[in-house]
Amino acid sequence: MTFLALTPAMAALVLATTAAAVALLYWLKPPPKRVVVPSSLLWDRLLREKKRSTWLDRLRWLISLLIALGIGLSVAAAIGRPEVGSGDAELDRITVVIDNSATMATRTSDGFRRWDHAVAEARSLLQRGSAGGQFLIVDTAGQAPPTNPGDRRDALELLDGLTVSLGGQTQFPLLPESDAPLYFISDGVMVDGIPAEAIPISVFEPADNVGITAFEIRAVPSAPFTYQAFLEVTNSSPGPKEVAVRLSGSGASPRGETMSLQPGESQGRTVELSGFDRGPVRAAVTTDRDAFAGDDFAYSFLPVRARTRILLVSSGSVYLENALVIESGVELIFRTPEQYDGRLAADVYIFDRWAPPSPPPGPALVFLPPDVSWMPPTLEVVDSPQVGGWNRDHPVLQFVSLEDLRVNRAARFAVSGGPGGDGDGGRRPALGAADGEVLVGDQRLPLIATFEIPERIIRVGFALEDSNFRLQPSFPIFLSNALSWMTDEQVARSSPPGRIEVPLAGAAVADLEGNVLTTWPLSDRTVFLAEEPGLYTATRGTRRLRVAVNLADPERSAVNATGFGPEVRAAATPGILGAVEPGGWGEELWMLLLGMAAVLVVGEWFTYNRRLTV
Amino acid sequence: MSKKETLFDDEFLKKLEYLNIVSNQMIPGHMHGEHRAKKKTDAGIEFADYRQYVSGEDTKNVDWRTFLRLDKLILRMFEEDADLPIYIFFDASKSMDHGEPSKYDYARKIAAALCYIGLLNHDRVNLVGYADGIAQELSARRGKNQVWHAFRFLESVQAAGPTSMQTAFKSFFSSRRRRGLVVVVSDFLDGSGWEKGFDMLRYFRQDLFVVHVYSADEMHPELPDEVLLEDSETGKTQRLKVTPGLLDAYAEQFEEHCEEVNGYCRKNGYGYVRTTTELPFEDLVLQVFRQGRFLG
Repeated sequence: MTFLALTPAMAALVLATTAAAVALLYWLKPPPKRVVVPSSLLWDRLLREKKRSTWLDRLRWLISLLIALGIGLSVAAAIGRPEVGSGDAELDRITVVIDNSATMATRTSDGFRRWDHAVAEARSLLQRGSAGGQFLIVDTAGQAPPTNPGDRRDALELLDGLTVSLGGQTQFPLLPESDAPLYFISDGVMVDGIPAEAIPISVFEPADNVGITAFEIRAVPSAPFTYQAFLEVTNSSPGPKEVAVRLSGSGASPRGETMSLQPGESQGRTVELSGFDRGPVRAAVTTDRDAFAGDDFAYSFLPVRARTRILLVSSGSVYLENALVIESGVELIFRTPEQYDGRLAADVYIFDRWAPPSPPPGPALVFLPPDVSWMPPTLEVVDSPQVGGWNRDHPVLQFVSLEDLRVNRAARFAVSGGPGGDGDGGRRPALGAADGEVLVGDQRLPLIATFEIPERIIRVGFALEDSNFRLQPSFPIFLSNALSWMTDEQVARSSPPGRIEVPLAGAAVADLEGNVLTTWPLSDRTVFLAEEPGLYTATRGTRRLRVAVNLADPERSAVNATGFGPEVRAAATPGILGAVEPGGWGEELWMLLLGMAAVLVVGEWFTYNRRLTV
Repeated sequence: MSKKETLFDDEFLKKLEYLNIVSNQMIPGHMHGEHRAKKKTDAGIEFADYRQYVSGEDTKNVDWRTFLRLDKLILRMFEEDADLPIYIFFDASKSMDHGEPSKYDYARKIAAALCYIGLLNHDRVNLVGYADGIAQELSARRGKNQVWHAFRFLESVQAAGPTSMQTAFKSFFSSRRRRGLVVVVSDFLDGSGWEKGFDMLRYFRQDLFVVHVYSADEMHPELPDEVLLEDSETGKTQRLKVTPGLLDAYAEQFEEHCEEVNGYCRKNGYGYVRTTTELPFEDLVLQVFRQGRFLG
């Protein structure tokens, strides 16, 4: 028997002290209270009958002392946390790194996941050590960062709290300097940089998997209001697979097809979505014996617009009018600046080289505006400015190339704040700067910027006539993106599972079923955790932002790409059920001892009241 | 002085009056001499018997007619009422000075009440306080005007010393005493044995009525787990581990003790009343009346 909380010497000292204290207390009793009774005649007679045999009294006293000693020693021993048997001394101080990357969710032939096998193996290592040993459990996804080692109970609790991380970066953790043996339990697929001193334990078993490695909905460049879904399916199985692909959305029957894939082969499909209504679109692949379900589904959002009413105020712009007229679903109203009436309702306002004195009641696209109170003033006119760069990630510039953009003359205005507002290397914003985001150019010379005051405004710092933008193939795409962004009809952002940030401060996030997720608001964005693939919607007031969380990663679908060779020790699969299930009584005796003390207390009370003990 | 005032106050006297009325109602025919023995004497009215004349006797009761017929001197005898005395013994040992209210005060009230009723009925009442002998004695009295003497006597006796009924009875009845009714008010916690005292009364052919007084906490004492018991009479101490079981056994022992006293009385035809000090004394006195021994 070993004592986990105390050294053997300390435990012996505690037990001896307890026994001595109990015995001493039995001898050293406080003086009894003196009570005067009328006559002790009856007491004498009673005690004469009760104390006929002194040896019986001594026996009762001895039993009472033994019970008290039993109670005291049980409690004292429980404090020392004794353990039956002694653990493997070599495993008393170990570090276990457990791989919880996405491929660990792959099911093995016994129906469990590689992760279950890994946890069982880790448990086995911990159980073979002693309960008082020092164990450090670390994972590859950052759920259990390396801290101080704990005892077995702490390590097991930590292990129980770990889950497979489908998204995020997985890497072998940086461990503190230690001479403790290092075990690494993994399938060897997604983790590199394994140190040489690590003892790998493999839970890899070849498995079939066919998954969606890419899924996206985007507008057709030639017809910006027509959307297509691009789907890529990869067969990561050792053998060929027949795969059923199914695309479903609202407003039309699901579309499906079957494809044959050779091992390692990927096939892409483009699916016309004109039959679907606005809303979520789900892609699914099914095949036999698919061991990894995380990549079998993918989600996105189809932003089909209703008819948009556009008020164009211009002294005359052929390119702009033509570009808008050919847009499907657009109702164009043309007015000259003199004819502009602020009461005329429209979904989107476009002002060409003119701006009304007060802001319009809706979102607006403004080309080279004059100085008005609701917009940053023009600081200067710059001839032939250089187009330094543009924000390709912004929805307005999605699929827009500005490589060949030439601008003859542009008006410089000030923009401050916003995600793209730090491009000037920390210069103070100019006088009259407004919070916005520079899309094209930089902070010193923004050419295109967005504002929300509170309606969405896209300000273009040059006139179409002063540039070749109107002749660029990307101009209609820009126009379509701008209309979508201003009317808040955008395709969903794509993200792998894990920690997700949306550029919407204080937003509420819900999944497809309407379940509200826990969020962490930051100053200019909101963070939430999406562990499962799905379509998530962040909402704040009238603004919505959709995030399609998909695994869609060839690396994560390649469940058989293990780096472990045959020399790596395989995890012992027998007994996984027992190891996965929570343990029973365990080998520690402290609860048993406390239970025994409780039973003895009850026994003492019973025997005392029955006059069996003194 | 204050104790005297509280022991026999106006309230107490009112209760005595009440007891007197109630006793007359309970035994309507009781009257002087009714419960007394007949004694054959040369005085009296009712003829009882004849006996041989002894030389030197008064010749006034000689039956001269018989002398003329038989030539023998025969004396005529008459029955005379001989009132039996009441001896009220109250335990004045230290063990009686216990409980709330005190057993001793309770016993003295009972003694006072019985004495009062006796005196009002023209009985000859003796009051005796005893411990391990005769503590104090109020010799035979008769008549209502003796009530205050009796009360003052009862108030003057203090409880002290151990108990020995045998010694007390032997001491009292060794001097020439007439047969009568002995009323003993006590807790019968007698180290020398209450049976010996009762045997002594049987020897002197006294009738006996027992009033057994105890306090409730005496039967069910509240004691700590470990206690040093001190005998109030002897001062003897003993260490005791008190358990609920032991207390139960003690209660059984106490009950057994009471039953022993009761059994003795029942066996010998004596009256027996047991009471706690919580019972109003007048109720107890009425119980004594119902036993039909003290009056009627």
